[in-house]
Amino acid sequence: MSTVFSSAPARGRFASFVLNDHRYVLLGTSAVAFIGMMLSSMSRPALSFLAPYYTVELVMYYVLVAWLVLSAIALAFKVMYRERYAAKAPFARAGVKQAVRYGSYIVWAITAVFILDRLVMGIASAWTAALAATARPQDDLLQGMFYIVWHDRYTFLAGLITTIELAVFGTIAAFFLALLLAFCRIQKIDRADNDFMRAVKSVACSFAKGYSTVIRGTPMMIQAMIIYPAIFGLLKGTGMSTTEVNAVWTPFWGGLLTIILNSTAYMMEVLRGGIEAVDPGQMEGARSLGLSQWQAMTRVVFPQGIKHAIPGLSNELVVNIKDSSVLSVIGTFDLMFANTTVTGIYYNQLQPSLISAAIYLCLTMIASWLLGKFARHFDVQPEPLGSTSDQTLVGEE
Amino acid sequence: MAELIDNAADTQAASVAEQEANSKEPMIRIEGLHKSFGDHEVLRGIDLSVMPGQVVTIIGSSGSGKSTLLRCLNLLETPDAGHVWFHGKDLVAERVGVNQLREKIGMVFQSFNLFNNMNVLDNCTLAPVTLKKMGKDEAERVAMEHLEEVGLTEFAKADVRRLSGGQKQRVAIARALCMRPDLMLFDEPTSALDPEIVGEVLEVMHQLARDGMTMVVVTHEMTFAREVSDEVVFMDKGIIAEQGSPEQLFSNPQHPRTREFLARYLKDE
Repeated sequence: MSTVFSSAPARGRFASFVLNDHRYVLLGTSAVAFIGMMLSSMSRPALSFLAPYYTVELVMYYVLVAWLVLSAIALAFKVMYRERYAAKAPFARAGVKQAVRYGSYIVWAITAVFILDRLVMGIASAWTAALAATARPQDDLLQGMFYIVWHDRYTFLAGLITTIELAVFGTIAAFFLALLLAFCRIQKIDRADNDFMRAVKSVACSFAKGYSTVIRGTPMMIQAMIIYPAIFGLLKGTGMSTTEVNAVWTPFWGGLLTIILNSTAYMMEVLRGGIEAVDPGQMEGARSLGLSQWQAMTRVVFPQGIKHAIPGLSNELVVNIKDSSVLSVIGTFDLMFANTTVTGIYYNQLQPSLISAAIYLCLTMIASWLLGKFARHFDVQPEPLGSTSDQTLVGEE
Repeated sequence: MAELIDNAADTQAASVAEQEANSKEPMIRIEGLHKSFGDHEVLRGIDLSVMPGQVVTIIGSSGSGKSTLLRCLNLLETPDAGHVWFHGKDLVAERVGVNQLREKIGMVFQSFNLFNNMNVLDNCTLAPVTLKKMGKDEAERVAMEHLEEVGLTEFAKADVRRLSGGQKQRVAIARALCMRPDLMLFDEPTSALDPEIVGEVLEVMHQLARDGMTMVVVTHEMTFAREVSDEVVFMDKGIIAEQGSPEQLFSNPQHPRTREFLARYLKDE
């Protein structure tokens, strides 16, 4: 046996434990057997395929029990003989060793059958029952959730689509605005500038600084509650009626604008951090050849800085998926708003929220997986999932 | 490195430099230069002239202001007071076109400062194409000539980050030469290099000096200073403590600080 596995290529920590390490065979597999026993003692779901074969199930159960007993005996040998275990215990003999390993495969197979019968079929049963029910099942969490998922699927779908739109369009638009603002932010008075350029640069730089301070220093929820009604008021001021304003200035646009303005500030800081992380020698090298500040920035420094910034920038998409949830305060019909709506229907907060949480988690995991591929395309390391807009930024003052 | 071609352009540049040399008009003249960083006064009144075709080496211990002086010459640092005349034009007093000025003054840094987002050839052609409105083909031809001078033609398409320190510095020299500068500034070009590859860079600089390039070199390579320079300047605490021909300064230093400094360095060698 050992010769077969020793020729195998290098494996992961878990795989090598399972396949190469003999200690796994008795101890590790007894944990698996225990899980199988637990599952077998669960009540059978409606769709259980083992139900008609009670004897088979019983035999399988006792095989698992036997395995635990065998492991206990092996453990007793180990405790008694310690270093002399290999010489004393029958389990260490070549033939027995191999038989035990084959036995471990059987334990795995039995546990897998129980997982299929109890867990997979359990979920299927709950789903079938939930669909057949005329009212939300009150006493079963899973059935209740499945009932909600099925009956309010269009509500969740509408919210999901809006959330994706807000995050994707918001992040993309914010990226371009952030580029613009980051260029303003990093402007430095250069010797070659005339007085007009000096004035323009200092105004641009102060604007970017002030913008970043205000936006990053206030909650996005409040920003939404200011931006939406403020522009509503502005439009009304032009003589439009409330109905006309409502037709063009919807909570969706209010939410999108909020996300863009908010994300711009964070992305600007990420870009600035990336640009400032470029060795100042790159700028000096370019300037020493006679390139202007702008030429040096666009041709040499920025192409390198954006690479540093890619992980932070792409993280902003993940942050926006989550943070767009606060926009429901102005009535933007995103996933959070859908969640609130469904909560109102059933007077139950837990079940719809678990569903929404699962959807958000799927979204952010997919987004960070895609962004990771994107980042590797540019030869940079992706950031781990989970930071929020409160992240500490590279090069922040 | 074995064969350095003697191309027509350099011969021409040399003859122009010779003409200027005959007219006895210094290419660069510094007068009463002061520079402080905060409270720390780095340069305390520097006077120095560099004639066309001349190689001036600046030596001195760390913190004596050598690099700052060099960086004031192409205005990477703005002097606080004093004058720098380049081709008879005062760089400090007038608001001169800094960028046009720097096209005429090449600079080589201790840390190379090659553009990491480009290959060797693009490093060399970026400035000529952008600033001299030179066609890409023409710029690449010129760049290949200079890469040949420094012996790196086979690395033209290489990623600069993969080069050795010595190779990087030779690319940096070729890049500066591509702008056909009148003056070359070297800011400790070999200080970041392993001792065994210092030679390849010094060899290129040696050849450049032989071709008549006007050079101001800040260095700790005393052998190079002695062999190549026309004039050696010893700086101490922001002033020029002593200056003269290499023979004079190395064999018969007058200032006690110079003697102390040289004793320390020559013992090491």
